[in-house]
Amino acid sequence: MSKLTEKPMNTPDNKQNSKQEQGEQNSTLNRYQNPEIFEQLAIEYAVGSLHGRARKRFEVLMDTHFYLRAVVDAYENKFAHLVELLPDSQPSDRVWNNIENHIQEQNKSLKHTPDKAWWKSALFKRSFGLAAMALVITAVLFLNPMTLTPTVYSAVLETESHVPVAVTRISKSDMKLSIDIMKKVDIPEDMELSLWCHPKEGGEPMKMGEISKQGKTMISISQEEWKNLKNVGLLAIHIEPRNSHMDKPSNKIILKGKLTPSSDS
Amino acid sequence: MEDIYAELLNKAANGDQLAFKQLYEQCAPKLMSLCLRLMKTQALAEDVLQEGFIKIWEKADSFSPGKGKAMTWMSTIIRNKGLDKLRSLKTKAVETEIQYEGLEFSSADMEPDKLANMSQDVKGLMDCLEQLKPEQRECILLSYYYGHTHQELSTKLDRPLGTIKAWIRRGLEDIRPCLS
Repeated sequence: MSKLTEKPMNTPDNKQNSKQEQGEQNSTLNRYQNPEIFEQLAIEYAVGSLHGRARKRFEVLMDTHFYLRAVVDAYENKFAHLVELLPDSQPSDRVWNNIENHIQEQNKSLKHTPDKAWWKSALFKRSFGLAAMALVITAVLFLNPMTLTPTVYSAVLETESHVPVAVTRISKSDMKLSIDIMKKVDIPEDMELSLWCHPKEGGEPMKMGEISKQGKTMISISQEEWKNLKNVGLLAIHIEPRNSHMDKPSNKIILKGKLTPSSDS
Repeated sequence: MEDIYAELLNKAANGDQLAFKQLYEQCAPKLMSLCLRLMKTQALAEDVLQEGFIKIWEKADSFSPGKGKAMTWMSTIIRNKGLDKLRSLKTKAVETEIQYEGLEFSSADMEPDKLANMSQDVKGLMDCLEQLKPEQRECILLSYYYGHTHQELSTKLDRPLGTIKAWIRRGLEDIRPCLS
């Protein structure tokens, strides 16, 4: 294991000073943002050689940083083929009986009280699906084929695993961009979410502004920004260091979706 | 090659318990073998297998065939359950009922029948592992199949801790280009 991975494992448990912890967290984040380091950590995690506090810390970061999860998933997929080489071992009947009983019990309790988080529920998925579909239908219905001049742009933003999480609408009538994040996005305190427009034909992305981790954010847009929207293909939410005021987005995209023009006139 | 388990998993995701039972019957022996190596005792291995399959049932709708095979997805769930369990037990496998030590099953010198039945994916992975030094390969495989910590590997292989860490680190650095 590299020196960089030894450090979190050897860090004493009893650090009480919050400032020190904050500094430690920042330096940990910086380490995990280095592709060379996080890729090595990801493969160590996948193979099982990352242990103890380092493994736990990496799991916490994976929940926040989708790119870490994606790299780990890729390596886990590769190494999981090793299971194919193992000889078979038959478990006792007790195992299946317990699984079956658990499923039956779960089915009974589900009839009374749904135990899944609301955004994971079938109802939410269906509702969100309908809302997303309504957005697309609205976009299609209101598109004025004669003029092809959009007055509204919209996008459904999804995670890498295609789970819809946010809806965006940019309207010419009030020159406002609204983005509604349906599920809270957990990010470290020193990071923030920012919304960027990526041009269809490549080139410099356009920053629309910082957005909340949950709920609705409204951003005023300029005439120039509105004009530029016709060249935008993709809307993406990036994670960036707080108050970094970067003129280029970080490479950490957590949600993205295609921007669709429409007209409400 | 068609992923026969993906279809069963997809049916399970839609609440088909019969399909889930078929999936369990076909996959459990291989996954139990993994659990036994990680957990060392029959009881703990069966606990992990049970918890893992319950999670597979609950998360079946999040499996995406585009991201890999159903068996690799399930193996990862079961193995992570096992590693979590080992971590929660703190003192790992104090009493071992069954001795699972070796790596004969993953040897490069396999019987022709077994070799012929291997998927292209596992052949590719074995080719990558074959490029490593034997000691690097051994440490990586022992970490994967048995969940050994560096310290445990140091004791088991009677080598200094620093040497074990270096073997694993360099082995994984060396295998990365081949895997990608």
